[in-house]
Amino acid sequence: MSDHPRPTRRSRLLAYCYPRELREQYADDIARFIDDARLDPRYRDDPFGPLRVTARLSADALSSFFSSLRQGSPRPVRVAAAHPSLGQRIRSISMVALMKDVRFAFRGFIRRPAFTAVALGTLMLGIGANTAIFTLVNALLLRPLPYEHPEQLVTIWGTSDAQKQLLLSLPDIVDLRERNRTFSDIGVVRTMSVNLTGGDRPDRVIGSFVTASTLRLLGAKMAAGRRFTDDETALGAGQQVAVLSYAAWMARFGGRPDAVGKTMILNGRPHVVIGVTAADFLDPFEAELWLPITSAPSRQWYDRSNASVWAIGRLKPGLTPEAGQQDLVSLEAQLQREHPQSGARPSVSVMNLREQLVGNSRFMLLVLFGAVLAVLLIVCVNLANLQLIRASTRAREISLRAALGANRAHLAIQMIVESLMLSLIGGVLGVVLGAWAVKALVGLLPIANATPVHVDAWVLAFTFAIAVVTGLMFGAPAALFGSRINLQDALRTRTESATARRFNARNALVAAELSLCIVLLAVAGLLTRSLVRLQHANTGFDPDNVLTAELRLPSAKYDDSTKVELFMTAALERLRELPGVASVALIDAIPLSGNFGMMSYVAEGHAQPAGAEPVTQITNASDGYFRTMRIPQLAGRDFDSHDRVGSERVAIVNQAFASKEWPGESAIGKSVRLIGPPDVNVRVVGVVGNVKQQTLSEHDSPQLYLDKMQASGIFASVAMRTLGDPDARGKALREAIWSVDPDQPVWKVRSMSALVRRDLAPAKLSVNLIGAFAALAIVLAVIGVYGVMSFSVAQRTREVGIRMALGARGSQAVLMVLRSGLEVVVVAVAVGVAGALAAGRYLESRLYNVGASDPVTMVTVPLILALVAMLASWLPARRAARVDPAITLREE
Amino acid sequence: MTRKSPESLLPLTPAVLHILLALADGERHGYAIAQEVEAMSEGQVRMGPGTLYGSILRMTSSELVEEVVTRRREDGDERRRYYRLTPFGRRVLVREVARLDAVVALARRKSLLQAPA
Repeated sequence: MSDHPRPTRRSRLLAYCYPRELREQYADDIARFIDDARLDPRYRDDPFGPLRVTARLSADALSSFFSSLRQGSPRPVRVAAAHPSLGQRIRSISMVALMKDVRFAFRGFIRRPAFTAVALGTLMLGIGANTAIFTLVNALLLRPLPYEHPEQLVTIWGTSDAQKQLLLSLPDIVDLRERNRTFSDIGVVRTMSVNLTGGDRPDRVIGSFVTASTLRLLGAKMAAGRRFTDDETALGAGQQVAVLSYAAWMARFGGRPDAVGKTMILNGRPHVVIGVTAADFLDPFEAELWLPITSAPSRQWYDRSNASVWAIGRLKPGLTPEAGQQDLVSLEAQLQREHPQSGARPSVSVMNLREQLVGNSRFMLLVLFGAVLAVLLIVCVNLANLQLIRASTRAREISLRAALGANRAHLAIQMIVESLMLSLIGGVLGVVLGAWAVKALVGLLPIANATPVHVDAWVLAFTFAIAVVTGLMFGAPAALFGSRINLQDALRTRTESATARRFNARNALVAAELSLCIVLLAVAGLLTRSLVRLQHANTGFDPDNVLTAELRLPSAKYDDSTKVELFMTAALERLRELPGVASVALIDAIPLSGNFGMMSYVAEGHAQPAGAEPVTQITNASDGYFRTMRIPQLAGRDFDSHDRVGSERVAIVNQAFASKEWPGESAIGKSVRLIGPPDVNVRVVGVVGNVKQQTLSEHDSPQLYLDKMQASGIFASVAMRTLGDPDARGKALREAIWSVDPDQPVWKVRSMSALVRRDLAPAKLSVNLIGAFAALAIVLAVIGVYGVMSFSVAQRTREVGIRMALGARGSQAVLMVLRSGLEVVVVAVAVGVAGALAAGRYLESRLYNVGASDPVTMVTVPLILALVAMLASWLPARRAARVDPAITLREE
Repeated sequence: MTRKSPESLLPLTPAVLHILLALADGERHGYAIAQEVEAMSEGQVRMGPGTLYGSILRMTSSELVEEVVTRRREDGDERRRYYRLTPFGRRVLVREVARLDAVVALARRKSLLQAPA
């Protein structure tokens, strides 16, 4: 017995489930009772104890609730003796009867282990899949982001017709921050890798270059030290300071309090740590530490003509992102008039922070959510059918009970109670399965820091709700039709009479589940075909046996172009000398690595008004890049050792560029002006094949390569064609770079084929998930068809017997049964294909080279399903042929 | 409330009867009543807080039981409420048990039950 001075809070909350007149007098006592029950050794030591206590308490609360409804106010004991009133009679049955129904149902479950196992198994899968996907939907789309007033937070990007998220110039954002009327504050953000040196080996961290306002408007709480002050991040006056995230503090300083005040070498320059953010503060862009924008890796960032940053803003209360966007767009136009010499500005887009973080996953999540709901519906339909069949086979039992005085409402309630119990148990199993599945899924998904995925109270509430709805849905048909039994008919004949309507509720349910199945299968089919096309898409290069890596030279150390060029040349030489290496090249953006550059240009013979110039992808590559990647050289030459700083600037364009600008002519020798500032004129010396740079699903677009040795930037990636397994060369690659500069971090060492796989991963994951759901749906549908056809054959034994007695052959009997199966299939195909076409249109934008009404899918899927369904009806139909007319007729 | 004759309350509901029985050998608090009832009935009768306090509410207003005036106790929590039978409650219990005894005797005469061994 516990001697808590006060009942626990949880129990006091639970006491609120009891009727008011009880609570007024006994709230604390009830709460204490609940505590006592929970701590009672009999329950505490029983693994199912909590479940039992919960069940007992819920039943008890429910019965108190009912009796308070009947009584209204407390009354003396006075239990009527001879003539109980109607109300008293109901009172005496309600809870007792309900408990009786529950026990009755339990006994039923144990008597029919097969049915119970099938029902619980399918419910577990259906509800579990929903729990898993809803957990993702909840975390990514519903739960507020972990910041104060997250609805006010937006990201601010440049935007153009071709590109949704372009960088903006830092001085422009500073002006926008001062002049706007719609934001309470705006903070600059630029997340990028930062070289961390001074430790055992050079390393890299993800840093975010920010203004003081950024952490302030995000509401970053501190575990130690302080945030930046405005002075520390002010342009022209910044300090070399840094703020660490909690995770970085743990990883780099073991959480030691003396970390504040320590110095870290970041991008080659010492920075003093001034603070550590609280453990629950998560940067929306995954930064591990923050640096003042004045520690930028390049001076160019402070130049108005150079777009290098984006921003995060907090809107004034009540304002929409659209209002903010309108404000900033007009200010940007004003800046364009004031500073025309800094080149054409992109337009400004203001986007809700959540949209920024999860916008890409929303569509697939909703498709998946739709798929799991469809699976659950199929589960419902299946169980409804099983219950209906059971109700008809129990017709005699039910009629007997009805004849003995059970009322219809009570019979219906009993069936509902039974279904609800099944679905609630299935729901508990489903939560367990779902929680496990979520853990597995999270590893496969790119989940933002700010949207951690876990099962919370909302998920449990959702699961409980769908369990109840599921139970009511699959219990309802049996409760409605099953209890409506004509007493005389049922007691007189052995089974339902042969005149039963052929297209009854059961067939309608089967048709419904088959059509849902077709929709799911079609969606899976479309996505699979899209994935296969994507896998066979021509990347434009040969990803096998290529190893890639990324590095960035710290500008503090490599402060002039000669030093950079020396490093690049030396690195290339060392890499070429490695054993087992066929060829090596340096490039600033490896295809599918997430890096790419864009520039406006004017091609020779195509003058354009300022601001309306076309854009091309732009890549700096060393000679040998095309050979290393096996990108076909279509005309002209590769870069070579004569292309150096000081010689004529040369460029190589891809086929899409050449045929867009100079159709029917040779591109070789033509000149292109790249819009700066400063503008650069380059001469085309070669044409190469098109390459998928950003993603495999992109369409061919103009690409232009510059010679890396003529424009040496501090960004570099290595592409290395090896003679064996590329992954085995990672160590050698790092060491070759370190032999040139031992302080130079090298990261993202991965094979080109891994990059291709990474690009395919989201599509593959959704195909796998939808495919699994579709497979589950088919299995369920087959069970459904088989069950209903078996039942209908059993029911029509008499009809078949009579026909055969009159001379029908066995095969005719089979056909007769099959015909009713065929009717169901025809209806299902018609409805299902219509649904599939609608679903296809919804998916269209996500399909790669596959039409929304792709004929292969739209014909194959219904055909397969029809065949499977017919097979499932043929198996029971064969039994009709074996009916012995003599036996059937004798039984009548 | 005017005192009624014990007979006017008979027969008792199972819950009321069991609570009276549980309090027959001394005062108890809520959970102890529920435990005693469960033990006496060998697990046949289990009471949740709603049933228990619902019955106690009605039994108090019928003056079958009363709350023990709170006093500090050595062995328990003084903030728990303890209940005991009123003399009237005891009379009602005795009448009810006698009535049941008569019913059981009747059933035995009709050979519906084996006499206890």
